[in-house]
Amino acid sequence: MNELSCENVLMASMASADGIASEYTGEQIDMHVGQCENCCRELAQMQNVDHLFKRQTRMEQAGDLWSVIDKRIGDSTASQIGWRPFALLATLLAAYKLLELLPARDPGFSFKLVPLVLVIALFALIKENPFKINTGLILEK
Amino acid sequence: MIDSAVIEKCQNGDSESFRYLVEGYQKQAAGHAIAILRDREDASDAVQDAFVDAYRSIKKFDNTRPFYPWFYVLLRNRCYKITSKRGDAENVEDIEILAPQSGLPGEERYALERALHSLSRKDREIITLKYLDGLSYQELADYLQIPKGTVMSRLFYARWQLRSKLSGNVG
Repeated sequence: MNELSCENVLMASMASADGIASEYTGEQIDMHVGQCENCCRELAQMQNVDHLFKRQTRMEQAGDLWSVIDKRIGDSTASQIGWRPFALLATLLAAYKLLELLPARDPGFSFKLVPLVLVIALFALIKENPFKINTGLILEK
Repeated sequence: MIDSAVIEKCQNGDSESFRYLVEGYQKQAAGHAIAILRDREDASDAVQDAFVDAYRSIKKFDNTRPFYPWFYVLLRNRCYKITSKRGDAENVEDIEILAPQSGLPGEERYALERALHSLSRKDREIITLKYLDGLSYQELADYLQIPKGTVMSRLFYARWQLRSKLSGNVG
């Protein structure tokens, strides 16, 4: 247990008023405050300030941040996609080209659709519309 | 809890559901950021950054816990990042933290406001969370990421400072 100093008594007393038990008993605190003029005065002042602030509320703030945050979330999602899906697409297309070069094989019409399917799959994966028009573009004067 | 259903949707990649959280907490967050930063523009930046951080890490959030204390930690980090960039060169606006309808005469409320502004950031933060939001010691410990015992001493020293600033101004 810490020494029963004025500081510790004041701290324990304020905590006790907030319903928090301290390492000192109520009797110990009361006895000290009863005998210490300084603690008695300090405690009264702190309780007065406590009482004043308990009646206060926070000033309500205005503002609608959703449009800005929404844009930033969109930008961050786009930047999070990174280069990996595109590198994967390039690798798959290169592999397709190599297979296509193999002689004496006729895989049929469906094989020719593979690059298209890969590109569609990529845009579906990154949730992007390849035909989207960027309205944020500004023409140079 | 309504938040948990919304957060679950956000965790599944529904960014539109995140709007509900932003609209629900932006005013509260702005009030907290202003109490730390005392600058409306910086506070707005901190709140935006914190919401973007929250969106990016929402998948890691434990949905059985309340959202705002978790978000407050992100917001606080953003606020203190701004203050560390700012350094000592603070450009503090004359922003009111206390609501006018306190039932106190104007002069006394002004004294409380001045005293609050003259505290250090950390003292002002714990005082406003305790009195204006009515947080318990456990909630303060969660919000400030400190042990409950430290809450007791930090709150006491902040109150002590507040009392010193107010002595002579408010009877």
